[in-house]
Amino acid sequence: MSAQKKRNFQIEAFKHKVVVDPKYAEKTWKILEHAIHEIYNHNASGLSFEELYRSSALLRFYLYIFRNAYNMVLHKFGEKLYSGLVSTMTLHLKDIAKSIESAQGGSFLEELNRKWADHNKALQMIRDILMYMDRTFIPSTQKIPVHELGLNLWRDNIIHSGKIQSRLRDTLLELVQRERTGEVINRGLMRNVIKMLMDLGSSVYQEDFETPFLEVSADFYRGESQQFIDCCDCGDYLKKAERRLNEEIERVSHYLDAKSEVKITSVVEKEMIESHMHRLVHMENSGLVNMIVDDKYEDLGRMYSLFRRVPNGLSLIRDVMTSHIRDKGKQLVTDPERLKDPVDFVQRLLDEKDKHDKIINLAFNNDKTFQNALNSSFEYFINLNPRSPEFISLFVDDKLRKGLKGVSEEDIEIVLDKAMMLFRFLQEKDVFEKYYKQHLAKRLLSGKTASDDAERSLIVKLKTECGYQFTSKLEGMFTDMRTSQDTMLGFYRSMGSEIADYPTLVVHVLTTGSWPTQSSPTCNLPPEILGICDKFRTYYLGTHTGRRLSWQANMGSADLKATFGKGQKHELNVSTYQMCILMLFNNADQLSYKEIEQATEIPALDLKRSLQSLACVKGKNVLRKEPMSKEVAEDDAFFVNDKFTSKLYKVKVGTIVAQKESEPEKQETRQRVEEDRKPQIEAAIVRIMKSRRVLDHNNIVAEVTKQLQSRFLPNPVVIKKRIESLIEREFLERDKTDRKLYRYLA
Amino acid sequence: MNKLGRGHRDKVQQFMTITGSSEKVALQALKTSDWHLEAAFDVFYSQTHIKSYADTRRLEELYNRYKDPYVDMILVDGITLLCNDLQVDPQDIVMLVLSWHMKAATMCEFSKQEFIGGLQALGIDSLEKFRDRMQYLRSELKDEQKFREIYNYAFSWAKEKGQKSLALDTAIGMWQLLFAEKDWPLVEHWCQFLQARHNKAISRDTWSQLLEFARTVDPTLSNYDAEGAWPYLIDEFVEYLNENGIIQKDQLDEWSQKH
Repeated sequence: MSAQKKRNFQIEAFKHKVVVDPKYAEKTWKILEHAIHEIYNHNASGLSFEELYRSSALLRFYLYIFRNAYNMVLHKFGEKLYSGLVSTMTLHLKDIAKSIESAQGGSFLEELNRKWADHNKALQMIRDILMYMDRTFIPSTQKIPVHELGLNLWRDNIIHSGKIQSRLRDTLLELVQRERTGEVINRGLMRNVIKMLMDLGSSVYQEDFETPFLEVSADFYRGESQQFIDCCDCGDYLKKAERRLNEEIERVSHYLDAKSEVKITSVVEKEMIESHMHRLVHMENSGLVNMIVDDKYEDLGRMYSLFRRVPNGLSLIRDVMTSHIRDKGKQLVTDPERLKDPVDFVQRLLDEKDKHDKIINLAFNNDKTFQNALNSSFEYFINLNPRSPEFISLFVDDKLRKGLKGVSEEDIEIVLDKAMMLFRFLQEKDVFEKYYKQHLAKRLLSGKTASDDAERSLIVKLKTECGYQFTSKLEGMFTDMRTSQDTMLGFYRSMGSEIADYPTLVVHVLTTGSWPTQSSPTCNLPPEILGICDKFRTYYLGTHTGRRLSWQANMGSADLKATFGKGQKHELNVSTYQMCILMLFNNADQLSYKEIEQATEIPALDLKRSLQSLACVKGKNVLRKEPMSKEVAEDDAFFVNDKFTSKLYKVKVGTIVAQKESEPEKQETRQRVEEDRKPQIEAAIVRIMKSRRVLDHNNIVAEVTKQLQSRFLPNPVVIKKRIESLIEREFLERDKTDRKLYRYLA
Repeated sequence: MNKLGRGHRDKVQQFMTITGSSEKVALQALKTSDWHLEAAFDVFYSQTHIKSYADTRRLEELYNRYKDPYVDMILVDGITLLCNDLQVDPQDIVMLVLSWHMKAATMCEFSKQEFIGGLQALGIDSLEKFRDRMQYLRSELKDEQKFREIYNYAFSWAKEKGQKSLALDTAIGMWQLLFAEKDWPLVEHWCQFLQARHNKAISRDTWSQLLEFARTVDPTLSNYDAEGAWPYLIDEFVEYLNENGIIQKDQLDEWSQKH
């Protein structure tokens, strides 16, 4: 545009009056049309608008055009202006389309991009010029504003032109594909073109790019995942899937609409993860179970975060994990080899728990549902083995007994807490209580409890878990021990000189009822002992009238000074029974089994066991047996083993150690437990009926079960029998009309 | 009496002679049954709570006939004689029904009060009347409600004084007697089961619940409800039947043929 021309226009503008004249409209339009052409032609000439803008000449021209536009609108020629705009722009756009179409290969996108940039600039100018129209004519006629119009025209004439539309789509998709196979592409260009589509409207973006993009991606990933799954192991596959997922996310952030992220990621999730979920989890040698067994935290963590993204992904992992733990646990508790060593058995349980806790912590995000699944699995298989309560008690016994040397207080607490955790899983807590009592009694009486504090700590934990009832008797045992100490002090203080020549006596006085029930077995104490025992009895009953004392020979121990044939001297620590047996040999060189039995009156099973420890154990055989068999038979003969040697001066022969019960003992304990449960069930029934007055059978069973669940799981048949017993004793009656209903009889 | 017609007067007279009731009672009964003599008898005899004004002297005579020479009660010998007089077997179940009317505390003995009270309630004051009533007593077993009362009464009656439960052998004997009337197909199996598996006394609850079981659960156990709060002994019985394959299809056919 020459300066001259501008000046001409300028002058005319100032000179002319505003006339409402059709020819005026035509003339004005022609000016504007020309202006639009010029704008587009500037584009063609390659001069940037910024450069031209800076020259004030253009600025003046611009203002002039603006005024013309203003005038046209003012004089109600908006319609003509608008339609003229449309046709002019369309004309130009068709040209532009042709030039884009003719671009070869790679330059197609670049050309498109360039032309788009130009169009935007032109559009901006035109909008500025026609601003008055935008503000007045368009709103009142509800036509599309200039800017939007420009975009629509671009869309219709360029993007949706037959020769461009599909070519554009295919080009874009091809680039994505190439990038996926590892090529580097021009991301900036992609970004611009995609942005163009977004600017043209979300439906354009979706129709012309996003939807085909997602379809093609689905096909791509379907194929790739099939390939991978056939040749990779689970861990590798998951790595690849994760990589692809991250890639897509990155792609979106670089050159796609942010809203596409969730759509493309669900495509990847579906094709790569969801479709192959089961195959991956169950993959032989590398699937979930293998990962768990081998503690592959990283792989497991990856699986968790990937599977989390798909429906039922986590529940699949959880279910497979659960059934694996249950199977493993079941094996553990039913394996006869494992059951030989109770302490080891429990330690293994703890190790399994620790292992899986760690997995859930490190790889499964401490997911509560997984934690619950682990706990319920443990509860399931621990209760499969009826000896679990006994074994856990033995484990605790072992720890409280010797395992505490050099172990810090915190470590003790940790072990006890872990044992408590297993305890909580037990359904038959009352069985545990019975064994715990027995084992505690043995610990206390043999003086083998390594730390009083640790014992107390455990009792407190049990009390917190099960209530006061559970532990009141246990505490009674500790009280007895303390009281006995005081009693002994009093005994020696008061008797002092009288008993100086007697053997030293230490008595634990046990309150019946607090301690595990034992019958008082027969045993004839040797005369050397009887004296001091009687003195004690007299002393005690003197200060505690109305009580009855009975010696428990099966629970005591003695220290004997022994001199053997060759003069060797030893101090022997033996059980009370063994003391009775050995003292006999002060008056006889040889004794038969029957003679010993007669003299001591010790029950047969205990006698045999005691003799076995004295005569058949290497290093402790202070007695000799003929014949030299391992078992004690009724016609055996016994001699003092004059050839007895030991490196130690003090020799421990019999100790009262808590052991795994033999089969008959186990039956007995089980029976006692069942007997103890009956009154508890009855008490529960009476409690419930007292408050409810009338209740039907099924509800009673449910309520009783609920009330007792902290101790044991009552058998519905046993509950029924107890109800019938209560009916017979007239605590309850059946309702006259509804036989399923029971009534409380006050 | 003067206001009545001749025919009615005769009927009242007849009624009084046969039932031994008072004129007032006779009038009432006849009026209720519209002066049909037979119907009046039915009405009269179905009201067992009506104490007839039988001659107490005659009742005492009857009592003394059977009373034990040393104790003021009718014991085994007396009962045997009574059964003889009534032409009834001592093992006959009708004796149980009689005892029930008498509210006898225990079997094989009647106290004076029980005997006299029972006869009064039944309107009996002579051996002849006694014999006549036996058929009626027998018929009472057919009544559902009465049978249940008699059945439950039998528990207290058959058990030892001072015991809470019924000895097994006695229980089995009673069941066989009672269920012969009721025709329960499983009674033999029940008794066998008890002898094989239980061997202990029977509680009252089990006794009374068995009747419900026999009444409501069909012999093929098709409607047996394991959650039905049956006594555990009955649950075990069902288990026993299933274990031994006693409940089979032919059992069903047999039963359905009978019914």
